[in-house]
Amino acid sequence: MAPSSPSESCPQPLSTAENDLQPFFVLHKASHHGKDRTSAGQGKSRKRNKLSPILSQSANKPEGSSTEECDRYMRRKMQIEAFDIVWTKIESTIKDVLRDLNASVFNNIQQWVMECFDAIRLVGEPSIAEATRSFPVLNNTTPLKVYSALVITRNIEFVDDIMTFEELGLFLKSHGCHVTKLSSMEFSLKNGIAGCLKALLREFIGSSFDPADIQTLASWYREQDNYNKPLVLMINDLERCCGSVLTDFILMLSEWVVKVPIILIFGVATTVDAPRNIFPSHALECLCPSMFMLVTPAERMDAIVESVFIKHCTTFNIGHKVAQLLRNYFINQDGTVTSFIRALKVACLLHFSMEPLSLIQGRVIVEDQLRNSGLSPETMLKYMEELPSHASYNLSRNKMDDQTNKSMAEGLSELLTVQKLWSTVVLCLYEAGKYSGVRLLDLFCEALNHVLYPSRDSVCKKRDEKDHDLSLTNDPCQQYSIMQSGGYICQIVRKVRDLPSGKLDQLIESWEKLTVDISEIYEKLKILQSSIRCKDGKSSLRNSKDISKRGVSKGSINNDKDSRMSNLQAIAFLDDLVRNYLRPIEGIPFHEIFCFKNVEKLQLVLIGDPRRTIQVDLLEFHNMLHCSCCNKSGKALLPSMHDSSIMYSLAQEHGDLINLHDWFQSFRTIVQHTNKRKQKPKHTPQPKKRKDTTGSEDQNEASIQARFCRGVIELQVTGLVRMPSKRRPDFVQRIAFGI
Amino acid sequence: MDKEEAPRRMTRFSASTSTSNILHATKGNNLETLTTNELLVGGDSISLDDIIANFPARSSQILEIARLLGPLNSPLLPLFMYGGASTGKTSIILQLFRHLNRPIVYSSCRTCYNQRILFESVLNQLLLHRKNVANCYTNAKRCERPSDFVNFLREALTSVINNLKEKSNKLVSGNKIHGGMGNIIYLVFDNFHLVRDWDKSSTILPLLFNLYDMLKMPEVGLIFISGTSPDTFYSNMGYVEPIPIYFPDYTEGDIRQILLRNQANQKLYSSFLDVALRPFCRITRQVGELSNALKPLFEKYCEPLSDKGKGVIPTEDMKRRLFNHIKPHIASSLNDVFKVSSPASSKVKVGKETKHKGSPKRSERFEEIGDLDFHMSTSAKYLLISSFLASRNPATLDASLFDSKGGSDNRKRKRKASEKVLEKKEILEEELLMKGPGTFPLERLIAIFQCIVSVAEEPYDEEEPNSNELGAECSNGSLISDVLLQLSTLCNANFIFKGKSCPIEGSTRYRSTISENLALKQVARSLKFPLSKYLYRN
Amino acid sequence: MAPATKTNGDNSHIVEALNLLRSRICDTGFIFKDSPDGNYSKLKFMISSSVAEACNNSILLLGPRGSGKLAVLDLVLQDLLIQYPDSISVVRLSGLLHCDDISAFKEIARQLCMEHQLLFSKAASFDDNSQFMVAVLKECGLAHKSVIFILDEFDLFAQGKQRLLYSLLDAMQSVSSQAVVVGISCRLDADQLLEKRVRSRFSHRKLLFLPPSIEDSQRLLVHMLTLPIDSSLPSDYAVQFNKKVQNIIEDKKFKEIFTNYLNFDSSVKHLLRFLFYAVSHMDMQTGFLSRENFETAYSSIQRQPKLECLRNCSILELYILVCMKKLEVKEKSLCNFNAVMKEYKNIHDSFQTSDYYARNVCLRAFEHLIHRELICFTDNRGHSLSVEFRPVKLLISSAELYQGLKAYHSCPAILQKLIERDG
Repeated sequence: MAPSSPSESCPQPLSTAENDLQPFFVLHKASHHGKDRTSAGQGKSRKRNKLSPILSQSANKPEGSSTEECDRYMRRKMQIEAFDIVWTKIESTIKDVLRDLNASVFNNIQQWVMECFDAIRLVGEPSIAEATRSFPVLNNTTPLKVYSALVITRNIEFVDDIMTFEELGLFLKSHGCHVTKLSSMEFSLKNGIAGCLKALLREFIGSSFDPADIQTLASWYREQDNYNKPLVLMINDLERCCGSVLTDFILMLSEWVVKVPIILIFGVATTVDAPRNIFPSHALECLCPSMFMLVTPAERMDAIVESVFIKHCTTFNIGHKVAQLLRNYFINQDGTVTSFIRALKVACLLHFSMEPLSLIQGRVIVEDQLRNSGLSPETMLKYMEELPSHASYNLSRNKMDDQTNKSMAEGLSELLTVQKLWSTVVLCLYEAGKYSGVRLLDLFCEALNHVLYPSRDSVCKKRDEKDHDLSLTNDPCQQYSIMQSGGYICQIVRKVRDLPSGKLDQLIESWEKLTVDISEIYEKLKILQSSIRCKDGKSSLRNSKDISKRGVSKGSINNDKDSRMSNLQAIAFLDDLVRNYLRPIEGIPFHEIFCFKNVEKLQLVLIGDPRRTIQVDLLEFHNMLHCSCCNKSGKALLPSMHDSSIMYSLAQEHGDLINLHDWFQSFRTIVQHTNKRKQKPKHTPQPKKRKDTTGSEDQNEASIQARFCRGVIELQVTGLVRMPSKRRPDFVQRIAFGI
Repeated sequence: MDKEEAPRRMTRFSASTSTSNILHATKGNNLETLTTNELLVGGDSISLDDIIANFPARSSQILEIARLLGPLNSPLLPLFMYGGASTGKTSIILQLFRHLNRPIVYSSCRTCYNQRILFESVLNQLLLHRKNVANCYTNAKRCERPSDFVNFLREALTSVINNLKEKSNKLVSGNKIHGGMGNIIYLVFDNFHLVRDWDKSSTILPLLFNLYDMLKMPEVGLIFISGTSPDTFYSNMGYVEPIPIYFPDYTEGDIRQILLRNQANQKLYSSFLDVALRPFCRITRQVGELSNALKPLFEKYCEPLSDKGKGVIPTEDMKRRLFNHIKPHIASSLNDVFKVSSPASSKVKVGKETKHKGSPKRSERFEEIGDLDFHMSTSAKYLLISSFLASRNPATLDASLFDSKGGSDNRKRKRKASEKVLEKKEILEEELLMKGPGTFPLERLIAIFQCIVSVAEEPYDEEEPNSNELGAECSNGSLISDVLLQLSTLCNANFIFKGKSCPIEGSTRYRSTISENLALKQVARSLKFPLSKYLYRN
Repeated sequence: MAPATKTNGDNSHIVEALNLLRSRICDTGFIFKDSPDGNYSKLKFMISSSVAEACNNSILLLGPRGSGKLAVLDLVLQDLLIQYPDSISVVRLSGLLHCDDISAFKEIARQLCMEHQLLFSKAASFDDNSQFMVAVLKECGLAHKSVIFILDEFDLFAQGKQRLLYSLLDAMQSVSSQAVVVGISCRLDADQLLEKRVRSRFSHRKLLFLPPSIEDSQRLLVHMLTLPIDSSLPSDYAVQFNKKVQNIIEDKKFKEIFTNYLNFDSSVKHLLRFLFYAVSHMDMQTGFLSRENFETAYSSIQRQPKLECLRNCSILELYILVCMKKLEVKEKSLCNFNAVMKEYKNIHDSFQTSDYYARNVCLRAFEHLIHRELICFTDNRGHSLSVEFRPVKLLISSAELYQGLKAYHSCPAILQKLIERDG
């Protein structure tokens, strides 16, 4: 699911950035532009702030020299290109991952299509004369059915699968089928059967026919080059189609299936028996369905996380909170991989636009691409010097001591190595986790959590002094710190504890594969293996003995005790790994270079939550417009407030039905309230108010009514109230309830 | 011995035609080579007895039609063949014409789904017109109005009939009367019952029924094939009925013969039918459905046998054994209408998926996403549930069901109320439940949704131990945020039906269409949401 | 057995006879050649007089369907065309085809063009065509040529604004033109349908066509079935054949059948179907008709579709029907699939029937019943509500249902009991 896919949820990269960054800017800048409080004013400010993030960023940078401008420009350019490099890398990896995930299913489908086609051909290959005939082919066999595949995209949102079906289509085309895709729009009740046939012909033949009938398709199919190929028709959202139209369509196809071997592929979002709800029985009767499962979005997600964050953890990484946010967004908001990727992209962009040091990263990547090797402090150093901030730093302090510089380089390289270790550990845990169905996404979030990390240390320290009494406790594996710290890791380890020996061996082998190039872990693994092996030897020996003298039960007990022992050792190994190497990136110096941590901004970008913000802004408006008049008063409604906010806070007192008259009365009392104490200086230059200070009473009355009306309209426009219905003309209905 | 002669002559005749077809099939069929032979069913000829043999329990109908069609060149009043689905109407008529070797114009009102296409396909066939690239798949004539149709039809028919006549004259001069295809042309309209659903059916139906009187051509025979009996065609203006020919559904015995027709191992299959057929026949008597249901069952039946029971002659005890083997499967497959096979690799896991759907065999963590075997975001689930409630519960009870404290305690209150009211109120509610899900405006949905979410947040947090305040905050805060997005998603997935906007309010009304099973068993469980507590009646 | 073995040459005369009879039945002209009632002569007199006196006229032929209105008219026209070969031109319209004015005028123009060897332009507009018609009428009037308009399904022309009728009759008001408008309708109140302006211009001549009496139709029968002695047919065969036919007609049983059949519908068309069926079942070996042929014809034309449908139903479908009947008897306000299922379950609980099936199977049976049109939906909002909630009603009376269940072999006793209990 490349984010530049034509689905509605992910527009082009930069536009994404700008659009999504909007709310953040508004709020950010609003503090500076406290004066203008009308919506128009905000609009203005928004326009003014259409600058790039860097501006706001550089605003709070210490130095203010004359070289600022060009310098900033330079940096900005470099930032953009760095972003491009990194993002293209991530994107390509994601693409590959997704493709690999789908490959097997695609192959299955393609085989199946061919089988169906052969089955149809077996029934009979009518000559062109017979095929274009209006009556069915005569044969004594039972009537053929329309072969149809239910491709189950196990996600109620079908955004992710648009691309999947595109690719499937290309795949089948390349394997010699005529492929077309019809959307559910073609199967609408309005156009009826004519509409979808027209679309079908347009897709297959190319030109459109005003009386579209399937006979045309038949005669087209029989022409020399088209013959001998199956016709595949993909409808990628079955649930959206109008059942009756689709029924007619299928019945018609079933009449022609011998002459026009069309094979249907439905994308089913929900469950296998979705067709049962859509089609009547006589349509189901002429379908010959078979089912294919795509991978669940959760699995996709894990694959992506693994490849992006863990395998290539040094390209770009995210902090714990960010990960948490993304995870919750995925699980609670919309579980589309697409939006996850988009979020990731935004994060990436934010990172590069806000984090000056992040420039290094881009270079690192380039370096990797040239000759993929871990980078040495020297190269690191080189980048540092080219760093513009660094240059300005030089300007300011004419002499640089390479001491700091060196240390910095060291730190960086160290960071990289630590990251490598971290990722290996996570992978090991994931391997173990596969037995207890732990999602990598969750594990990832926990592994990033730097709050947990020190606690683990402390626990194990505590353990050292009161080792002995712990050993007395009946459950020996309680002594390992990871067992105490709850969460996924704990869960995994528990599972490992109860793992049967066979599975355990598999697990250890898989660990071996993972850790083979990380020396320090590999050694530990070796130790573990050897110890377990010798034990197995012993146990097997004893077993033979036991069997010789029929103490089988006792033997078995011993046996499972041994296996428990080996499990314990495995746990010990894990515990060791977790304690020593599972250092979250945020705990390490210089991590800012690779790691994006700023949750609030990302959240603002992702979840605008307009309904909520509108209400909040109306109620606590002076958080936004810091006007001197209102902020001193706590909850009390002052006339100096903006009309609509007054009215909305008044509305809070009513139920979901607001009596207009009462509302108006209370509104007027508040506004009138001003005119009593007029002497109070006013910072809200409301033209009407100025007028009604001088104007006569009835004018005043009228203007108040006008303001009231305008307020109501504004609330309606913002979607907070609904206008009176015919039935109850004097009541407004509240639509938005508690925040 | 003369009897033999005729068919052989016919074979030669039709063989020549078919070869000619193939000929100009190969050389991009230019039109002048098309002759009136196009109107023949073609294929090598078949004797009446063969047809009768091919269609078990249809001999009376076949003979009747044959008699009514009568000898060569004898005119025909319109026929009306009717009978249920898959009772052999179409194939019998086609086979008969293949046997008689007379020209027909066949058009199915399913393929020709409106009057224009019907007209044009009839004309295409009469004018011996075939679509191809050369004429860029256009029809011979463009004809939408019935009046035009009748005129064109008359012209086309006269021309065709004339060259049929001279053809048969040639044959007569060569004094072989019986080889010819005669000079009567038969128009066959299949799936005629569908015409009633066409928009202009009030005019097109009487037109087609009166076509014979309107044309006044004795050389034209009309044959209507319909799924429903003639009395379902009565409309406000009557017309003279055609001659009815009735195809009854097959009896159990007939079905048995039909199913036995092309089976490898007759004995084994019949022993299978002894066991399986009767119970199925109590449910449905449509051959298609029966064969669908029996095919997989027979495979099951053969499983214990070696080589899938190719050559075996079943003995008594073997039958008994097989019967015991098959019995449970019969019971299960009786109640199954729609089987989805899953080919190749994914079979195993798929089988698991479908078998224990919604069984809590997965681990706690995975349950959050899993358990329904498709992914759905939490807020969407809540929205789904709230829509279900909105459709199920009467709107008046919302206030009592969802207040700040959630459904728990005010349930008792509701109890008291329902104790006070009498039987008939209960019955009314029951009927209301029978009437199916009610509709609700968007506001009500959102209100319920917010109540549910606010209530369900706390258990939701306990459920996931390590999601710290950020996670929780983000979950409850933004669960509410994009309700409309989720709503559209659910509408697309057919879980919520979006109705027309009602005229008074001007607001669209929705209706949840999901089954209680899906709502209760799967979604609610995956959220650990106490749905039954909120249901008004359960 | 019938046409397949007609290849052996010896019964070729039988085939010939059969063909002759069939073509007679299908040829309306032959039937009404000397129809007893005077309609033929009256009509002929009217038209020929108005043609001879070169005046305008308008006639309505009324009568039930298949009573030979058009046939008689055709006969008359044939004669007239022989009588006045070059002073008559005929324009035929049918309400089924040309009920909208545009196509009607187009058709008129087309036929007039063909009549007078003018070339007809499809592109001609409505006004062009109407003006053309008026012009042609004038011309014909001057040339003492009278145009005869035949409006079949006259009542359909009376729908809508009746512009065609008005402009036709209005054109006829002018002295110069001479035309005859013959309306044919099965609605006896056809002239009441006309607007005032049209009716005022319409001369109310009506000819009533009544279905023949039993005797007349018997005479017709004889007339149809007697083979001509002097023809290619071997005369002895013809004589014998006619004798057989006489015997059959004298036969008591046959008379009974015949009267029964005609009591149902005594129109000529109806009779013809009967004859056609009987004749086409003639035994090709002997080559003679027999009473059995007529009996089979009677039985196979008079059908009881609902009972046939019931006979087709499976046991489960019968259960559903009975459940719906019970609901009807209980006078439940609504009856949809859910209600039926509830009833079904009740029956099962109370009687422990052997066949209690899953919901989706029952739903399929339910849909079968809808296809058989034994039940139908009472609402027309299809897609909004799923099938099991849409209200339905029975299309079969309880008497029929009862009869059907009785006739149904292997029908569960419970069902019959239930139906009987409900009465």
